[in-house]
Amino acid sequence: MESRQPDESRAGIPDGGGATGPETGPADPAAEAAEPQAAPRPALGIAGLSSLSRIIVALAIAVLVALVTVQLGAGFLHVAPANTLSKKHDETIDRIVFPEFEQNWRLFAPNPLQTNIHVEVRAQLEMPDGGTEETGWVDLTAMDHENIRGNPAPSHTVQNELRRGWDYWTDTHDEDNRAISDRADLAEDYVKRIVMRRLGPVLNEGRVEKIQLRQTSRRIAPPPWSDEQWDTAPVYRELPWWIVTGGDLMESDREVWEESAQ
Amino acid sequence: MTSAPPPPPAPATPPAPPGPPAPPKAPSARELRRRFEDALTRGLGHITTRALGPYQTAVVRIGFAFTWLCFLLRELPHRHELYGPDGPWSFDLGKRLISETDAFTLLMWSRSDFWFELVYLLAVAAAVMMLLGWRTRTASVLFMVGVLSLQNRSIFMGDGGDNVIHLMATYLVVTRCGQVWSLDARRARRQAERAAAEPGAPAPPDRVGAVLWAVTGAALAAATVLGHLSWGWALIFWGLWVAHAVWWAVRRARSDEPRTVCDVLANLVHNAGLFVIMAQVCFIYATAGWYKVQGTRWQDGTAVYYPLKLDYFTPWPGLADMMASNGTMIMLLGYGTVIVQVAFPFTLFNRRLKNVLLTIMIIDHASIAVIMGLPFFSAAMISADLVFLPTIFLVWAGAKVTGLKNLLLGRLPGTDPPGRQPPDAAAADPAIPAQAGTPDAHADAHRA
Repeated sequence: MESRQPDESRAGIPDGGGATGPETGPADPAAEAAEPQAAPRPALGIAGLSSLSRIIVALAIAVLVALVTVQLGAGFLHVAPANTLSKKHDETIDRIVFPEFEQNWRLFAPNPLQTNIHVEVRAQLEMPDGGTEETGWVDLTAMDHENIRGNPAPSHTVQNELRRGWDYWTDTHDEDNRAISDRADLAEDYVKRIVMRRLGPVLNEGRVEKIQLRQTSRRIAPPPWSDEQWDTAPVYRELPWWIVTGGDLMESDREVWEESAQ
Repeated sequence: MTSAPPPPPAPATPPAPPGPPAPPKAPSARELRRRFEDALTRGLGHITTRALGPYQTAVVRIGFAFTWLCFLLRELPHRHELYGPDGPWSFDLGKRLISETDAFTLLMWSRSDFWFELVYLLAVAAAVMMLLGWRTRTASVLFMVGVLSLQNRSIFMGDGGDNVIHLMATYLVVTRCGQVWSLDARRARRQAERAAAEPGAPAPPDRVGAVLWAVTGAALAAATVLGHLSWGWALIFWGLWVAHAVWWAVRRARSDEPRTVCDVLANLVHNAGLFVIMAQVCFIYATAGWYKVQGTRWQDGTAVYYPLKLDYFTPWPGLADMMASNGTMIMLLGYGTVIVQVAFPFTLFNRRLKNVLLTIMIIDHASIAVIMGLPFFSAAMISADLVFLPTIFLVWAGAKVTGLKNLLLGRLPGTDPPGRQPPDAAAADPAIPAQAGTPDAHADAHRA
């Protein structure tokens, strides 16, 4: 199966230009130099081994071939579109692939995202005088963009955190904001914590009691050379108000938040 | 295998037609069987006696270790927000998800800040070890533990780059990726030189190895006793730990046979791992390419335009707008991307074509790093691509790096540094090309 690696043999480098067959490698100083880790090289390949050792080697080859076949087979079916084989064996495939070999390479495919999605938040505050106040909309995504602009190596905290957290929430909820997954509550708690971390526990001296999220989608305008046309006006999606609890705050914020309750 | 001269007992290789008297068109059944057996023997010899692609696996190791190390250092100020117990993806949220997925992470063992800092430090240290190729077989396991611990702790913080680091960190564990360009290789070379200078002298005891083995064993025992390891992971870690002891023992055994068998087994496992790494890279490009073929935007040649208008991936809006304004270029870039990605796995059967495509893909990823502000994603992808670089190029590049190093240190080529290098100097010198300096490697490089 190593024939898939053409460079090696054709360049003829590591085995000393191929002057000697692989079986006689050890006597060759070039081979010696190329593989210094196994400094005292075995005198002979498998040819010089006892039958017990040969059986061990043969078994190892069989096991490895089986493992590689299963690993790559499951990997292939995992990345391929759902098909006859993958539907039939989906449980087995998932058992092999999850959790450590999960992968998704549909990068910008089948079509790239064509919308700038912004997550905005407003809060209901409990003021020291006992009254309530409502803030205006705060564009959290714009803050991310601010951090990304001019930054050659943006942090995952600005490039992935809110973006992927929000994706997770929309993936686990339907158009009417109803949960459609067992993990919908996880997504909601996560998004609340992301938002509250940025908002802080107290705004304008008022304690944050409730928050409401809004998604603003702006379709990217068609390319200037294209004759296509579409509306680029923002489309809003408002979520219901969520009650903030101590669990939605960082520990340091929670203390401030709890103190401001008195 | 085409250019490798056949071993003595196999004079009739398929590509070389026999002499003047035209042979019968169809070789006899017996002849065919002999050829088949010869090929099988040669193939077996190949995969049992050698850990293939020593330079390729080394450069992949260095690439991923470097990428991950840079990422960890870049995120140092943000580490708590990304992976800490009080980050947005809190310890409790992590616990709820991991109780279902059973992903491996040390960070779920304790919610204390101290533990978190310790694990982050371990991940950094393992990345440095891996980069330098210091105790590579142990380093690769620790590297994997570091990568999995952090990434599995907060899976929603990652992107495609993290994904490929995750996979490769796992695969590298089974490879002998420290054969060249590593401190291990340098140590082995010096040991061999010493042995050649005074034959018969006993090999010096490997104290560092013994300490490392004892420490990892103690840590493993603690984790097992405390019930943190699933039986699958316990089996893997204890198996690796025992394998180190066996390796140590057979190297000191009086008989050669156990050592040979262990070496053959290590080669086989390495070669299987290398094959999986190469297949994995093909999966990435094939998936990325074939799914794009189905997209209407890739078909109408405007696909590349849209990411250049996504605020999350345009750190330099001026540059992106400039690119986005040229419709022809956008179309050519889009079609080119799809063609290259779909074609890549098939070009592996043609060395020259493969190298051309590899170059294009590496340039492509390097420009994505800048234009889209994804340096770590790009570095990870390029590191994966490196597995397909030709040995001749790697040896040449290694020699260049050595030359540069010697120039910087004011040393003549071929002379060894006086005495032992301080650890700092070694750290500043990540790619010590252990092999590139040897006369054989030079000869090979010149032959090309």
